[in-house]
Amino acid sequence: MDTVLYEFRTAIRTSNASLLASTITPAPPAHDPGRLYAILRSTNSYSIEADVRYGLMQNNREISLTKARSAAWLDVYIAYYKVVVVLLDAEEKTNQGKLLEADWNRVYEAWKELVTTLIKGFNAGHFEGWTTPCLYVAVRCLREFAIKADEANTRTKGAITFNSGLQDDVVGALDKNDKLEDAARVINRIFGLCISDRASLDESRKWGVYYITNMMFKTYFKLNSISLSKNILRSLNATASDLPNFALFPKSHQVTFNYYVGVVSFLDEDYTRAESHLAAAHRLCPAVPFAHKNRALILTYLIPCRLLTTHVLPTPSLLAPYPGLQQLFGPLSACVRRGDLAGFDAALVAGEADFVKRRIYLTLERGRDVAVRNLFRKVFLAGGFEPVKDGQGGEAERLRRTRIPLAEFAAAVRVGTRADAREGGAGEGGLEQDEVECMLANLIYKNLMKGYISRAHGMVVLSKAGAFPGTGV
Amino acid sequence: MSGAAQGEPNTTKAVVNDAKNGETMKDQQKPAVTLGEDDEFEDFPVEDWAEEDTEDPGANQHLWEESWDDDDTSDDFAKLLKEELRKVDSSKR
Repeated sequence: MDTVLYEFRTAIRTSNASLLASTITPAPPAHDPGRLYAILRSTNSYSIEADVRYGLMQNNREISLTKARSAAWLDVYIAYYKVVVVLLDAEEKTNQGKLLEADWNRVYEAWKELVTTLIKGFNAGHFEGWTTPCLYVAVRCLREFAIKADEANTRTKGAITFNSGLQDDVVGALDKNDKLEDAARVINRIFGLCISDRASLDESRKWGVYYITNMMFKTYFKLNSISLSKNILRSLNATASDLPNFALFPKSHQVTFNYYVGVVSFLDEDYTRAESHLAAAHRLCPAVPFAHKNRALILTYLIPCRLLTTHVLPTPSLLAPYPGLQQLFGPLSACVRRGDLAGFDAALVAGEADFVKRRIYLTLERGRDVAVRNLFRKVFLAGGFEPVKDGQGGEAERLRRTRIPLAEFAAAVRVGTRADAREGGAGEGGLEQDEVECMLANLIYKNLMKGYISRAHGMVVLSKAGAFPGTGV
Repeated sequence: MSGAAQGEPNTTKAVVNDAKNGETMKDQQKPAVTLGEDDEFEDFPVEDWAEEDTEDPGANQHLWEESWDDDDTSDDFAKLLKEELRKVDSSKR
């Protein structure tokens, strides 16, 4: 325990937040791999209080903590010791393969005790604003231990038949995510602790708001209650004017926050908002190995998003570093570009399980409109130009044919959906004229195409100034 | 404390341990872990980085392109379409 308290004093004296946070982290630091076992051996549950008290008092002159503050930290380190005891026990049993004996519930409860002690200390004003990163450790591990406890509980429930002697009846009634839901409530309290801090900005817990928010998002996503994220966003919006400028927060907070807001908006079908957040996340996320997976995740949503908002597709060089994304979006993109509707449908079916799992299926399905647009655009291009009239200039002023028979679009749809092959013969195929008109009307309505259908003449009359907005014709 | 976890931030520690569990609980544990872990945004091991670091070395590369394509008239699909349109055209006359 001496080393921990020595580092504690150093951290307090130099206001070193990350060092301070490391002294309550339930994992050994890189330079001291045997730390947790050393703590366990250094004391016992009878003398821990006296030991820590002594360690805090000793040399207190160099850090001059008030009595109340000292007492608050005393509680934290006693709680920390208790965590170490139960954590090492659980880890040992896990490593020995005695999974059912590893008591992660106890670890969770012990850690929650430490977190509660921290919250109390912050509420009472014993801990200064710069120590906020301790809350990051608190929240991060609370979530991790909760997940482990839930996993362990699921496991025991499965094994209850041959191990029922050790279990009490409560376990059976536990929800699958019982601990994680409990953790979410605690994290919510910490969110409140940060956002409501009235101290001046340079000394404020408000700097922790986005980190805690991100942990909240992460927890809600894991719990599959994504809609609850919106409550957090509402509170953030309500206090937006009191928060420091977003760009001043650490980049990791910014990227993660942008990712989650992006995905929440994406699932809400607010693609414009989703795009701006996801694009910001993508821009700020470094292209280094440790961020590789996160970049891939950002792109997983940014790509379908852009297909709908600006109708652009990823280039091979964007996808190249991510074989998974290449597999996910490569075939689909090629079909959109060619206007190959049958290929598009096949790619959608082929990737359905993955698309659904990532919640992008419906969005990609809407991308079919873009494929149809590209197909019809080809019809327009194939139509060539109006005969040049006298007095007209050269190449540049030539007008494309803007009156196109419906039959040509129908033919294109037949090719695009390979209807001929399916129906087993050429000719009218399986597609009704009405269906084609419907597709045309849809595109016109969605502003992917400009013009009108003249049913009386069986013609589509396209705009002379940009029949397919944004595509150069 | 497991050797592999030493010096790693806490998040990776969890993963390491899960992998170990997998050896003994292969049948029921593995799939659940990969599914959950798979699409979760990871905690960055570094809190902050400089503006320069966010510059993608491939930033000069072309990352997004238009979804339509004028040039590709050579592939089978384009040929088929041309063919079909010609048929419609000739049947009119």
